[in-house]
Formats: sequence, structure tokens, C-alpha cells
Amino acid sequence: MAPEPRIVVDASKRRFSLNLKELLDYRDLFLILAYRDLRIRYAQTFLGLAWAFLQPAATLLIFTVVFGRAVKVDTGGIPYPVFAITGMTAWTYFAFVLNQSGNSIVASQEMVKKIYFPRLVIPLSKAVVGFVDFLMAFAILFVLMAIYRVTPSPNIVFLPGFILLTVVSALAAGIWLSALTIRYRDFQHVIPFLVQFGLYATPIAYPSETIIDNLPRWGTALYYLNPMAGVVEGFRWSVLGGAPPNAFAYLSFGVMAILFVTALMYFRRVERVMADIV
Amino acid sequence: MSGGTAIKVENLGKKFIIGHRLEGDLRGSFSQRLSRLMARDGGGTREEFWALKDVSFEIKKGEAVGIIGRNGAGKSTLLKILSRITDPSKGRFEINGRVSSLLEVGTGFHPELTGRENIYLNGTILGMRRAEIRKKFDAIVDFSGVEKFLDTPVKHYSSGMKVRLAFSVAAHLEPEILIIDEVLAVGDAEFQRKCLGKMDEVSKGEGRTVLFVSHNMGAVESLCTKGIVVSQGRVVYQGHVTDTVRHYLQMTSSEEVSNDRLNEHVSIEEFSLSSTIVRSLEPLDLTLKLVSDEENEIHGLAILFYNSLNDRVAILDLREGLRSQKSSKVEINATIHSLPFIEGEYKLGVFVKSRLCVGDFLNLRELIVEGASRNFTPYARKYRGLMELKADFKTR
Repeated sequence: MAPEPRIVVDASKRRFSLNLKELLDYRDLFLILAYRDLRIRYAQTFLGLAWAFLQPAATLLIFTVVFGRAVKVDTGGIPYPVFAITGMTAWTYFAFVLNQSGNSIVASQEMVKKIYFPRLVIPLSKAVVGFVDFLMAFAILFVLMAIYRVTPSPNIVFLPGFILLTVVSALAAGIWLSALTIRYRDFQHVIPFLVQFGLYATPIAYPSETIIDNLPRWGTALYYLNPMAGVVEGFRWSVLGGAPPNAFAYLSFGVMAILFVTALMYFRRVERVMADIV
Repeated sequence: MSGGTAIKVENLGKKFIIGHRLEGDLRGSFSQRLSRLMARDGGGTREEFWALKDVSFEIKKGEAVGIIGRNGAGKSTLLKILSRITDPSKGRFEINGRVSSLLEVGTGFHPELTGRENIYLNGTILGMRRAEIRKKFDAIVDFSGVEKFLDTPVKHYSSGMKVRLAFSVAAHLEPEILIIDEVLAVGDAEFQRKCLGKMDEVSKGEGRTVLFVSHNMGAVESLCTKGIVVSQGRVVYQGHVTDTVRHYLQMTSSEEVSNDRLNEHVSIEEFSLSSTIVRSLEPLDLTLKLVSDEENEIHGLAILFYNSLNDRVAILDLREGLRSQKSSKVEINATIHSLPFIEGEYKLGVFVKSRLCVGDFLNLRELIVEGASRNFTPYARKYRGLMELKADFKTR
């Protein structure tokens, strides 16, 4: 016979614990919430899933016209649409998770107030939903590579690693924002701003050299405080080859790691009072 | 199985800070910090409010315990803490066994999803595994009676259908410990009865531990064996369920004000019962005094009786007792010789049809009816209908 489950809650003894086992026990909930989001996302839309394709495609078109044709950004010989979509693939996912998870706890407050479950399940499920957009962007990437006859670089073996880093940075930012939005609704307004700002503050539409060559060292360091700066460069390097990410990229990864750990800690702290303040 | 402790609560307390905004914006929190810094004494405007204080009790396995108390007494806070939705500020508790808590039916229901999908969604939210739901799926659908609409989005359901579906999912949870809040306050009367039956089965038939919060004294009495009265965040009474309900009713009736205003002209000066607790088939005296600020013409006057499911079970027509129709003050004393109601909790209202005031005025008084005294064990309540019939028997 399995040991009887036992719950002890003591207000005087509290410590930080991730409780991964419990999170694992709730995997069914996590999956069904992701399923729910996928099902309702395009409910009653005429174009349905095509929206996940149209959004990056439209941005890509604008980038190609503005940065590829008008400004003529130097991409080191890579056809501009291929260059831009590699950056956008990682960014689309990041932006989606940021948008969705930032508001996720507030949007599920009815549930949060009525039933117990590890609240992390909510932003985590958004990271799963984002894979649809991720896959769509990948599809565009591969189609464009075929059209422009760009062969993937051998660095592609590192791609899974950079995909993982994309997910981790998206979660880091998403979890932070979901917890902050509970207490300060201001962050609902910060998110669209962050996404728009990040689209240009990250080497997506242009290679990082065009910016950092004109910046002092501290400016470059500042630029790489953006965790996605390193991720997008690494992502592009693993797909298209070229010069490996510069040393500053490690700064990006460091910031990401710190953000991720502190996000989990802050979230756990807010989790205790979530139902009272949401 | 039985005998051990299912829930043990020790000195549990929950504090809220009032007088400052809990969900403020950034500026609010910043200026608060600033002013606290300036004030140096931690800001004197913050006020602590203890929604629960020093709550301790123990529930043994297999017991069904009802928690009663007025609105705002702290019942829901207690349930939220025990369900781990929110953390206590003080004290500790432990729960031994698989626990499910039901603070609402249909948590997480999504209108765009079909009935089938919502069964899975809601079941998972309540803590069931997917495999478990698959196994019970047919039983859930059967109990709900919505099988025809299983693949229709729930947004097209009537509210009654939604509740039935939601309750069916909840009714098929099989925890060792069940924590339920007021969930019976929804749905139509017939389905409520079905649910009460199912709950009864759950709590008594299978030796399960139940913690039940309700305003419905009848439901508490029929489902629970023990009771706890919560008032102003503290446990003020615990004991056998009948004693607990009695204690609670005495506590509340002594607080009741006798002067009820019906409108700007007419008010009830007195509406009293000879006793707020009576046995079935025993007499009950009622007194009703109406006063108005000018002469009133009264065409109709009655006392309305509602049971705990909010069905009107009877009226006592007072027109016969009216001495004159035109008056500014009416006083009627009535005696019911043998109260025919089955045991349970009843609410009394008044119907007035007059020149100055017309309408049904409900929930004015409460009456608890206890089972008739007999020299044999009566059948279970659910078999005995709504009324108690008085008869004489001749044996030949």
C-alpha cells in the first residue's frame, strides 16, 4: 500500500523549495491547460492556425523592405530574408511567452482563488503553447533557406542548445512578469513596450556589429544585458554559421541564468499570498 | 481506517492588513515606503485585521463536520487555508490522507470548450488524473444528464446544465477527505436534492471525512455528525451537530432586531415565535405586529414558510385574524396546533397587501424543526417527503 499522503503547513517554518516532484505530479493539469489555450486561441477565427504563420511573415516582409532594400544592412552575404527570419524565430517565441505568461496569473485568478495547485503550472503551460508559433517560424525559416539555397552550417548540432536557451530566457522573463503583474498591474502595460523595444534592441533585423561597432565598451556591455541578444546571435550562428558570438554573449547568458533563478524565487514567495492579492 | 486524525488544526490565524491598498500600483507602493520611512514608526495608518484567530480543532477519520457561522465570520478563510489556497499567518495544520477541496463547482470551465473537454479540464483542476477521469467518464456523463450535448461548446449550455455537468465531475472525486463550501447553493431544487443524496452517500456510505461549510442548517444537520461554530474569526462552539446548530440559532436569534422596516411607511414592530426550535407535530405560537405612520388599509396578510431548498412549503393566512381592515396598528396572535413540517431549517417571511405597502418580505425569521418524538426509529429523511402527518390509529 502506498504511504498515506500527508500535508503539513506551518506558518512559523517556511523555507524556499522548488518542489519539483509536486510540479511533476501536476503534469496532467499543465498539459490540459496548454491544450485549452491552443483550442481557444483560434476559436471562431476564420483563418485559424494561419495567424501563427501570418504574424511573423508580415514582420519579415516589413524588415526585408526597410532593412534589406532601403537601408541595405550588411548581412555578410546571407540573403536578407533568411538572415532576419533566423533572429525572428527565436524572438517570436520569446515575445509570445512574454505576452501570454505576463498576464497569465491575473487572467486565471478565478481558478487561483478557488483551488490549490502549484501556480507555476500556469506560466509553464504558456511556454508549451508558444511552441506552435516557434514551429511556424521554423517552417518559414526552412522554406526560405530552400528558396535561397542556403545550406545549414555544421554548427546546427548546437541548435537544440540554443532552443533550450530561448525557452529558458522566455520563462525567466515570463515568470518574473507574471508574478510582478499580480501585485503591480503596471507591468501589463510594460509588456508590449518591452516586446517592441526588444525587437529593435536585439540583433534580429541587423547583425550586432552594426550597433556595437559604434558603441563604447560599456555601451556594448549594456546592449548584451539583454539576454535575448546572446541567444539570437547564437541561434543564428548555429543555423547559418559565420563568426561565433563574441565574448559579450556570455554576459547575456549570465543575465539569463540570474533572471531565471530569481524569477523562481520571487514567484515562490508571491505564490503564498497570490490568492489574497490577485 | 477510522480512529486516526484526519485534520488537525493548531492556533491557526490569518491576518490581513487593511487601510492600505494591497494590489496597488508601483507609485503607491513607492510612496508608501517613502512615507513609512519618513514616519519612522512603520507608518501608523496600517491596521491589522485578524480574519481568523487561534483556531484549533481536530477531526477524526470518517467524521463529517459542518462549519457554520455568519457571513464574514471566517469560515471561507478557514477553508481557503485548509485547501492551501492561501497561507496562514500563524499556527499550523496537518491533513492526513488524499484531500480534495471544492470551493466552487466548475472551476476553470471554459465556455469555448465542449462538455467533454470541460469534464477533463475541470477534473484535472480538481486533482484527478487523466486516466482516472477516462475511467469515470461514463458515470460522470450519466449523472449529469447532458450526454446529448457532450460535443457542444459549454457557452451554449443553459446555466442549469452547466451546474449539473460541473457538479457531476465534483461528485466523482474520490478523496479520503473532502472539503466543501456552499456548493449546494446553486442549481435547481431537484438537482440539489440529487446532490445532497450523493453527498450523503459519500460521507456516510464510504467512511469518508467531510468538512462542510454551509448556511443551510438542514443540509448540515442531515450530512454532518459534528459541528463547529465560527464567529468573528474564532471557534466559539464545537460538538454534536444538533447541539451546534441549536447553539448557533440561539446565538443569532438573540442578536436579531425586532424592528424590521418594510418600507418608509410600514414596519414590523414584532414578529416572534414561541420558540425558534420546535419539534414536528408540536404547537407553535406566532405573534405579528405591524405599524404604519398613517392609517393603512390591509387587504392581505400572511406568514410564508420556506424550507432550506427555498421552496415555499406553506402559508399561514392571517386575514381571519384581522379585527379591522383599516388601522395604523395591527397585532395578530396565531397558534399552530401541530406543526406539520418535517425536521429541517425553515425561513419565515411575511406577505403584505395594503394601501401603503405591498410585497413578499422574505428571510425575516428562522425556525428549526426537530424530528417528531416517536418510540421507533423513523425512516431516513429522504424517504419521508416534506410533511409530517398526524394520525390516530385504531387496532382491531
